[in-house]
Amino acid sequence: MSDYAHPEVLVTTDWVKENLGKPGIALIEVDVDTKAYDAGHVPGAVGFNWETQLNDSVKRDIISKDDFQSLLRESGVQNDDTVILYGDNNNWFAAFAYWIFKIYGHDDVRLMNGGRQKWLDEDDKDLTVDAPSVSPSNYTVSGGRDDLRALLPDVLAASKDGSHNLVDVRSPDEFTGKVIAPPGMSETAQRGGHVPGARNVPWATAVAEDGTFKSRDELEAIYTKGQNLDRGKPTIAYCRIGERSSHTWFVLTYLLGYDNVRNYDGSWTEYGNLIAAPIEKG
Amino acid sequence: MPRHDVRVYDDIFEMMPSEENPTPLVRVRNSLPDESEYRLYAKLEWLNPLGSVKDRAAWQMVQDLEARGEIGNGRGIVEPTSGNTGFSMAALASARGHHMKAVVPNKVPAEKKILLKMAGAELDVVNDELCPAPGLGDGSINLAKTHAKAQRDRYVMPNQYENVQNMEAHVRTTGPEIWRQTEGKITHFFTSLGTCGTVSGTSKYLKSKNPDIRVIAVQPSEGHDVPGVRNVSQLEVTKLFDPDLIDEILEIDFELAYVRAVELLQKDGLRAGPSSGLIFEGARQILQREGQGAGVGVMIFCDDVFKYTSNLVKHLPELGQGLEP
Repeated sequence: MSDYAHPEVLVTTDWVKENLGKPGIALIEVDVDTKAYDAGHVPGAVGFNWETQLNDSVKRDIISKDDFQSLLRESGVQNDDTVILYGDNNNWFAAFAYWIFKIYGHDDVRLMNGGRQKWLDEDDKDLTVDAPSVSPSNYTVSGGRDDLRALLPDVLAASKDGSHNLVDVRSPDEFTGKVIAPPGMSETAQRGGHVPGARNVPWATAVAEDGTFKSRDELEAIYTKGQNLDRGKPTIAYCRIGERSSHTWFVLTYLLGYDNVRNYDGSWTEYGNLIAAPIEKG
Repeated sequence: MPRHDVRVYDDIFEMMPSEENPTPLVRVRNSLPDESEYRLYAKLEWLNPLGSVKDRAAWQMVQDLEARGEIGNGRGIVEPTSGNTGFSMAALASARGHHMKAVVPNKVPAEKKILLKMAGAELDVVNDELCPAPGLGDGSINLAKTHAKAQRDRYVMPNQYENVQNMEAHVRTTGPEIWRQTEGKITHFFTSLGTCGTVSGTSKYLKSKNPDIRVIAVQPSEGHDVPGVRNVSQLEVTKLFDPDLIDEILEIDFELAYVRAVELLQKDGLRAGPSSGLIFEGARQILQREGQGAGVGVMIFCDDVFKYTSNLVKHLPELGQGLEP
């Protein structure tokens, strides 16, 4: 992992095992399958529900600053903790949570490389159904990074003037408009296709067979050389609801060291519902 | 001692199939194109005590877990299952005083889920429709593994996909039964692929007796919805698949599985389920291709059609017509 631009943002499953229960480390599981945590989690890990705890329950938005602060207080996370995030589906929602932690200015956040699956597959790693013992903290959100998030006007402008790398991380069938969403997904759009000017780099191309991230060389070959992403330009990544693109945002920002990468969490479920917005198909 | 001659037993376990108490072989005649020298037999696995070929593997695995002290004293079973193994295992485990949790993909027909509950299993239903991703494996296998790992004092996972006892069951029972029932004259063995316990175990035994016996695995075309069987492309989940024990893998248009299942009931009186229909169509195609000279074929008819009526209506819509006054 050492040749990544910011290798300190990843920890191995072995590192997590060695550091279980140590003070100053907050383990947090965030899954696509919101039942997975209850079935079994890494000992001491707190579980966040992406639907009800990381998103606003009324308007469509990420959790507010105040709610984030309350969530971390209830979860016993301290401002100077090293937060380790992991989850199912190659850390989709763990990466989404990572992005939110950074938006609200938490300093030391890391992903467990390989996620829940790698931990499950390793015989020397334990799971538990026991709830962690949590002492509420005085967590305070002080700073914040609005510049990690792209909103619709940013995307419309970027599409029009070609000033950005626009990266659509969905499957090729979603990108071309053959399907509007993967089978079984309830959040969808009125139209299929992609934002004009976007390149299709499915998120999973960043992941090796064992579920960990590919090497820096492989990632450079995919994004920088293969897709000709221009390191001199800012980048906006999007998907369907913003979780898969958080994964790519993480790869571009921390593993490849791109400057100025933003996640458009409105993604296709916002863009594909707009009246009169330009759409490319095929 | 079980009294197989009069079929009087002390308990269900004495009824389990063995060389002395085999499931029947019945010759299939009417659905074949012509009369021929070739004798094609169906092995009626639905006449096992709990209604499917899976009784063999389930019983072998439960016995093995008991013998090794892995279950008992409050520790039961968790297993990913698409139905038949779970049903056999749940009923056998319950009858032995063990509890069981079955992790079931959502697409499994309701009839099978209800049967699992009736047999005493606690259900955990998994949505398998998530976007495919590298190295994630099968959702129900992962969840069962999670339960086994997170609650080691409550569950052990037999894991039919990796447990050699699944294969061993067929080395000990299915193979010897067929050898004895055909008086060593079997030339072709037809079955399907799922966990591959049946094909690997039976083939291992039969080929040890006569290496010239041809073993044909019949698989449905990709995109199929024939419950309980797999296309080779779906076999990464099992460790019991051994290509050296299979002479040919024959792919069949899966729609024919349903057509043949109904044909077997209407022409032969055999209440064959869709996977049996699939295997029968495979045998027909081999016979058409290779002629019908002297030979003895045995087909595994895994289970009967009763659990699949709604599934059949989907593929043979005329079955669903005229049901109202």
